[in-house]
Amino acid sequence: MNKPENRVDKIVSDLLKGRRLRLRGGDAEEKAAITMAARLAGARPSPQRMNPAFRKRLAQALESAPKEPWMTRRAALVAGFGLAATAVAGGIVGRALEPAHSAPRLQGGAVNPIPGKWVDVAAISDLVEGQGKRVAAGGVGAFLFRRGDSVTAVTSICTHLPCELWWNSGQGLLDCSCHPASFMPDGKSTDPSYPLPTLNKVQVRVTAAGRVEVLGTA
Amino acid sequence: MTLDRPPDQQKVGSEVENVLQLPAAARAADIALDELELVYAFIYARVGNRADAEDLTQQVAMKAIPRLREGSAASAIRGYLFATARSVLGGFWSTRLGLSEAELHEDLAMAVPQAPPSEARADTVQAILAQLSDNYRRVLELRFLHGYSLKEVAADMNSTVGAVKVMQLRALRAAAKVRVEL
Repeated sequence: MNKPENRVDKIVSDLLKGRRLRLRGGDAEEKAAITMAARLAGARPSPQRMNPAFRKRLAQALESAPKEPWMTRRAALVAGFGLAATAVAGGIVGRALEPAHSAPRLQGGAVNPIPGKWVDVAAISDLVEGQGKRVAAGGVGAFLFRRGDSVTAVTSICTHLPCELWWNSGQGLLDCSCHPASFMPDGKSTDPSYPLPTLNKVQVRVTAAGRVEVLGTA
Repeated sequence: MTLDRPPDQQKVGSEVENVLQLPAAARAADIALDELELVYAFIYARVGNRADAEDLTQQVAMKAIPRLREGSAASAIRGYLFATARSVLGGFWSTRLGLSEAELHEDLAMAVPQAPPSEARADTVQAILAQLSDNYRRVLELRFLHGYSLKEVAADMNSTVGAVKVMQLRALRAAAKVRVEL
């Protein structure tokens, strides 16, 4: 299956079945063939207009998008089109993708689910200083970091593409599973040459009983 | 990583009357939605599947909202949307393939389509296929335009599945080298 003709045929077969492009790093060797396959697949006499349901969702998103701050792509993806208006705008796609005169956006702001619910996710004794712990509070995924008796949390979703981050314990960083991007435990991007927006904070508290609670969803 | 930035809005005196005043979000949405149909077709023609095309069109729409609300010249709206679409496509391919934008630049530097998307797309594909050898053209036509499986293509061409796979790859490589001006 490692032969290029097999790999490219897998991609072609997926395209012809209407599936997403699922590529690997090594596929760059055949980028010309793959991009051409996508163009040929796109030229088939298949739907050339938006699916009515998608068009409707898009219309709703355009009409309901808040004026300030922006409704960002990730906010829309995470919250769903209909709920996007209530989503807290987070730093999303790389800055280089932004229009030159974009309005200032919130970066690293706290996730504020509506309606929110404090969810017990761990005991503080479960947390090891210097190590991130992935937890889920309903629909909110977060990484917890303990420092003494206090705990901080950032979202588990990358700010470039909505991919799940994972804790790289060797380097003490949150790495994106979809592309080479890393974040420090405070949510800041590690790459100075292509800084991504800071990860959104997740609201967290420690109870008197030593339980860690995250503001998530029911 | 450097991506295309949408061009600055051009404002000249003669265009003042052509400026779309968009006081309400709904007004902007009405105008944008028709333009976004073209954007969707433009993107679909380059990624070849609906799911990715919808995601990328959504990205373009979200990025365009502030600009649409500013009250931009009518001609600038389409230009802005397509510039944003090219930028989004660049990010898509560079992320999926792990390539820099520069390596993909040639494919991204496409003009805003003037013809209806379906016609432009068919013309482009036919022009590309026309420049291929008979076997290469045949395998791509059967596979992509007629939806044949590898086995069916092999039967049609009196060949084997393995040979068709290799021919398909070589045909795609050859097609990628064809430069078509329409």
